[in-house]
Amino acid sequence: MSSAESKVRTEKPADGEAGGAVLRMRGIEKRYGGVHALRGAELTIREPGVVHALIGENGSGKSSLLGVLAGSVRPDGGTIEMAGEQCSFRSPVDAVARGIAMVSQEIAVAPDLTIAENVLLGHRLVRDRVAGVSPRKSRAKAREILDGLGLDYDPGALVRDLRPDQRQMIEIARAVSMEARILILDEPTSSLTDDEVDGLFTTIRRLKAQGVAILFVSHRLDDLFEVVDEATVLRDGQTVCEAPMKELDADRIVAEMIGDAGAVAAKRGAARRRGPRDRVALSVKGLDVEGLLREIDLTVHAGEVVGVAGLAGSGRSELLEALFGVRPSSGTVEVEGEPFRPEDPRASIRAGIGYLPPERKTAGLSLQMSVRDNLTAIHNLGRLRLASPRRRQENEVAGRAASAMGVKTASLATPVGALSGGNQQKVALGRWLAVEGKVLLLDEPTRGVDIAAKWEIHRRLRDLADEGLALLVSSSEIDELGELCDRILVLFRGRQVAFLDREQASEDRLARIAGGHL
Amino acid sequence: MTTFPDLIRDGWERTRRFRPVLFLLIVMIPVFAILQGAFLTQQNLESMLVNSAVLWIVAMGMTFVLLSGGFDLSVAAIAALAGIFMAKMLQQGIPGGIVLVLAVLVGVLVGGLVNGLLIGRGGLSVFVVTLASMISLSGVVDLWSSSESFYVYAPVAKIIGTDDFLGIPTAIWIMAGVFLAALYVQSRTFFGRDVYAIGGNPVAARLAGIRVPGTLIAIYALMGGCAGLAGVVAVGRIGAAVPQVNNTLPLEAIAAVLLGGTALSGGSGGVGGTALGVLFIAVLDNRLAISGVSNDWQNIVTGIILVVAVASDRLRFRRAEKGADLGAGSDPDSEGAEQSPVPADRSPLVT
Repeated sequence: MSSAESKVRTEKPADGEAGGAVLRMRGIEKRYGGVHALRGAELTIREPGVVHALIGENGSGKSSLLGVLAGSVRPDGGTIEMAGEQCSFRSPVDAVARGIAMVSQEIAVAPDLTIAENVLLGHRLVRDRVAGVSPRKSRAKAREILDGLGLDYDPGALVRDLRPDQRQMIEIARAVSMEARILILDEPTSSLTDDEVDGLFTTIRRLKAQGVAILFVSHRLDDLFEVVDEATVLRDGQTVCEAPMKELDADRIVAEMIGDAGAVAAKRGAARRRGPRDRVALSVKGLDVEGLLREIDLTVHAGEVVGVAGLAGSGRSELLEALFGVRPSSGTVEVEGEPFRPEDPRASIRAGIGYLPPERKTAGLSLQMSVRDNLTAIHNLGRLRLASPRRRQENEVAGRAASAMGVKTASLATPVGALSGGNQQKVALGRWLAVEGKVLLLDEPTRGVDIAAKWEIHRRLRDLADEGLALLVSSSEIDELGELCDRILVLFRGRQVAFLDREQASEDRLARIAGGHL
Repeated sequence: MTTFPDLIRDGWERTRRFRPVLFLLIVMIPVFAILQGAFLTQQNLESMLVNSAVLWIVAMGMTFVLLSGGFDLSVAAIAALAGIFMAKMLQQGIPGGIVLVLAVLVGVLVGGLVNGLLIGRGGLSVFVVTLASMISLSGVVDLWSSSESFYVYAPVAKIIGTDDFLGIPTAIWIMAGVFLAALYVQSRTFFGRDVYAIGGNPVAARLAGIRVPGTLIAIYALMGGCAGLAGVVAVGRIGAAVPQVNNTLPLEAIAAVLLGGTALSGGSGGVGGTALGVLFIAVLDNRLAISGVSNDWQNIVTGIILVVAVASDRLRFRRAEKGADLGAGSDPDSEGAEQSPVPADRSPLVT
């Protein structure tokens, strides 16, 4: 869709109050070379103590807008007001001084320093006049801040020993200690387990109660409906919707994001047409991975989608890794009746097994290489290494895979790293379509992908199953499993505790079993 | 459809990584020519190229090693070993052509079986392995030669070192051959693509079924072969095999590759840039030599240019990243349009 066609529908209640909103960004413009990333974007947080979501597809300008607010991106135009006062940020330091703190996705803590040192990073450790920095007093000060957030961490412990969610809390504590009035949380839940997400939300509610406004970015609908009060939707660098969360539902949000209500239904797609066949594609008996998985039995039929549910650490990812041969295991595996020993990715691929790793940037794609090279990588494995690639044939193979997955790219020669997250994920998936596979192992197939792209990937996965591929899908999102899968295997601490049919697998029941209750 | 302006733009984009050194060469050559008439004579240009032949050949191999995310400190030792081997074999009366091939093969074997196996299969650090083989191979060279130089009178040395073919020195033909072969392997084979894939993201390469250890062994064997050939050319140029190992050669080669825009972290760059990097060093060397300035100045200037070239690339990257690095980072690249080689009006953002 072109930006000229898309109509801006801004629902803006009259704001006549004199004091001014906590934050008001107006007409923000930003160009990068020829790309117009922000075209007069607006963002208003009226009151302190609200959780405000910023929603948009990958590439809609969210990053730039947050960057402008956090002082790391210089806008080309527009105004920022805080409490009625005009501000301009030349650097992140300016923004911090005005009480804006950002907790980014890549967690910025120093692992070899203590919790207290991390919380008070940046000249805020408590000093004695003679003895220099006082660890004891610094810890006491950090203790106070952590107590305020309801965290019982030991301020003297090293950050190295913390889980990712705890490290994130340390960053939040740091922001709080700088007396942030606006806290930006950028996809804070993307790598957390459900329990950890609950912990985060508890902290968010405490901050709310203390009058901190929170700007929240997330691709997960669950997050939005649970903790968010109001939302701003960005599309093509413009603000297309500002509304309280209670006026929004999933379909409306996606419609605003992609700007075309008809496309929403198409992306959501129809239900499965065919369902599983009689042929067993993958059969696993007594699979053990030392210390991680015990006695896993499962079968996946051709045309079937089997889900793997479980908390982080339950062995979900490890099961797929073992089946693809990147993690040593013992047990019997058969692919279409043929015995198969998973030991080496290369042999697995030859046996017809494909694997989509959970982290596309670090494991799934060669980001600096072109879309074409990435899409044909698997297809070309059988070729002599000193042979020359045939451009025309490759274009054909890559073109077919790209259109089968609906990859949006300027050209096949574009480096994959230049694509949006959703499109990258489609390429990571599409490379497996260029070969005749039998089984596809998918770990978190829609992680870090916006909702519209997620629905589209779901639809395409169902199409793949209908064409006779066997899919084994591991996901931390239970609604994803419910939507995709015919049957769901539930793991708890490395053991399989249930194998449910789609009809038996309500979200509540799955969550209960995955948590170790029956 | 690809239009002519597209081709120009793509071609221009492709020079992005080695633009600083390309720019410097374009400025330097006419300036030097004006300052000193002798600079642009055929004789001077030929001697300039021939003098850089050893560096050129080694740097071509080094490009692949850097593209794969490594480097090789042992190349000078391998070259010296191949030189001594050549001299000894010729003393035995073995025909020059065969000796030449065998000497290159010595390099291939040492590179592949020592460096390649230890790095590719053994998973040891590149620095440790190539440092260790640099040290021990220097010892081997010393022992085997009894620390003596061997004068080589066989015609093969003269052919390689000083003769012309069709009016152009043989060494330049060899340089051209090595460059074209490297260019072909880099951009027209699956092996070349594997090298980029491994350097860019070894984990992804392995999960995509690429034979990472085997490819690494082949890369270090290729490097060894280039070092062996460089050793042979050096013997031809000097007319003798000398036991002294020139251990600044590997560093100079790495510098030339970096000047040419190949990333030290692997995965991007190529031999085209390396050719310019070597030429830059050669031009500077030649110019300073003509005007009688000491070698030290050349080193100082090369070092500064190296930092400037790499920094300018880094700076551009960071500026482009800035728009996205603190943003909704699920795809930090998607909004930093400058860094992406996609022309803006064809960017995937504009759909």
